[in-house]
Amino acid sequence: MPNASRKIVAVGAIVVLAAGILVFPSLAPNPYILSSGVLVLNYAVLATSWNFVGGFTGYISLGHGALAGLGGYATGLLATKAGMPSFAALALAGLLVAALAVPLGMAALRVRGASFVIVSIALVLILLLVFQSWASFTGGSRGLVVPRPFDLTRPEHHRVFYFLFAGLLGVALLVWWLLDRSRFGLGLKSIREDEDKAEALGTPTFTYKLIVFVVSAGFTALAGGLYALWFGDLDPVFQFSILTGSYVVLMALLGGVRNLFGPVVGALIVGSALEYFKVEYGDTPLHLVATGLLLALVVIFMPDGILPAIGDLFRRFDRTRRSSIREVTAAELRDQRKAAV
Amino acid sequence: MLVLQSIVLGLLLGGLYALLAAGLTLYFGIMRVVMIAHSAFLILAAYLAWWMHDRFGLDPLLSMVVTVPLFFAAGVALQRLLLTRLRPATLTMMSVLLTFAIALGVEGLLGYAFTGTQRRIQLGYGSASLELFGARIAVVKLIAFVLAAVALTSLYVLMKRTRFGWALRATIQHRDAARLLGIDTERVAGYGFGIGLATAAIGGTALSLDTTIYPSLHWHWIGPLMAIIVVGGLGSVPGAAAAAMVLGMAQSLLQIPMGTTWAQTVFYVALFATLAFRPQGFFGGRLAQRF
Repeated sequence: MPNASRKIVAVGAIVVLAAGILVFPSLAPNPYILSSGVLVLNYAVLATSWNFVGGFTGYISLGHGALAGLGGYATGLLATKAGMPSFAALALAGLLVAALAVPLGMAALRVRGASFVIVSIALVLILLLVFQSWASFTGGSRGLVVPRPFDLTRPEHHRVFYFLFAGLLGVALLVWWLLDRSRFGLGLKSIREDEDKAEALGTPTFTYKLIVFVVSAGFTALAGGLYALWFGDLDPVFQFSILTGSYVVLMALLGGVRNLFGPVVGALIVGSALEYFKVEYGDTPLHLVATGLLLALVVIFMPDGILPAIGDLFRRFDRTRRSSIREVTAAELRDQRKAAV
Repeated sequence: MLVLQSIVLGLLLGGLYALLAAGLTLYFGIMRVVMIAHSAFLILAAYLAWWMHDRFGLDPLLSMVVTVPLFFAAGVALQRLLLTRLRPATLTMMSVLLTFAIALGVEGLLGYAFTGTQRRIQLGYGSASLELFGARIAVVKLIAFVLAAVALTSLYVLMKRTRFGWALRATIQHRDAARLLGIDTERVAGYGFGIGLATAAIGGTALSLDTTIYPSLHWHWIGPLMAIIVVGGLGSVPGAAAAAMVLGMAQSLLQIPMGTTWAQTVFYVALFATLAFRPQGFFGGRLAQRF
């Protein structure tokens, strides 16, 4: 495809996606569907926030659910215990979690790969433990009731928060897009491709990783806080569930982590599927099996995600771009060599 | 007296941790794989022991005759059929996700097959206990510890004294060099995984003796186990065993002033402290440096 028409397709896709998201509330037949829409958008924000770390640096975190939970609890506690206005509490919660992400990131990012994932899982487990046990402060298993910011009927409440989530998603996407085009983003991507070489070439890898982790944590906390204001009731078991983190990773991977809209597409697919499962089959342990199976299939057969797969499909039918020289990345070449040995 | 009791209990618990952490260390050594599903298989083995006891009245210890070979085969299959399919470049990250997915699947299937009800094996000798220097030790805990100790010792002998053990360690140390020496590293790696998963079968049986089990219990195990292998230095079996003993003991001792729930945090504190001050772990060898 020539460059100009590529651009038109890209802009067209963005317009269609944005229009679809904005029109949905007026098409939703009942408040329940609308509330599902809010949840799916929440997932889209979480997956996009996750993708700051996962997509740019290739570090996979299973603990972003915990950061969202922290954002939710921080918002709720600031609003109830400190009596702050809801949205001031939300903003402060985002900043607090981002500040907390600095020491967390310093511990987790000093080591490569495996240890990072371990720390991210440990984060979820430790926070669940703390928030359940520290009942006098957090409400424990009885839950924490967060006051509603607006005095609205239920459908109106859903509608307002739907647009708030859509706005947050827009901001997150915009920041991701800007980073993607920046020199900073280039440094991050070089970490993903080969951290040793990036460091040898003078990229301050640790600082870069830490910055992007903090940004990601901030957005995740905002999404979690917004969820708290919307839902109005927090329970440690759901806020610090390892499942949230795994859903987010599944969404981002399914959509494609190297794509701006990959996580959003993944969230639309997986989020809708989750809501559908809940309606059809209720809360059986089988949704765990379904999630696990889907995650395994994506990891084995489609680690690059749906969007690149579709792109490949289009390219296959496009004769103008066919050439005798095949494009392979250094990593693919290394894999092929390893497989050949 | 309470302290002595805690020390003994900590020692017994540490033995089980050490066995399970040894399995995790094997996987990591062989393929740089962090096996999240390890503790899910642990709970699966405990459920199988419970089920056989409940259904056929078998002693849980006898269930190992079935579960150990079964888990060994499952481990080999897992390595040969699934993990080798992943791209080498992103193996560490993707294998975490894959084994995480397996853990979710096992948990979901357990919940589906046996419901979320808490289960416990009622044994004739379940309430028997021994007096040792004034500390009371339940016989079942002692059996669990002996089981873990025997398994860990056999693993050690296997690794140090047999040809297969040498081949396995060579594969862990330098895969290409091992291949040049004529070792079929693919097969050895598969068997290594089988042995790792077999430790989960033994550990699960030991666990089922005196613990109430439920499908989501494995999350309570994977956190401490992960902490142990990081503190011990990823890839070092003696390091993992030492860290397991120390942390198991610490957890047991801290239960006196802090209560059971807060005592668990010792693992996470140790994990974060290790990563902040000594990322390669306290007993880590060459392997741990880069991961």
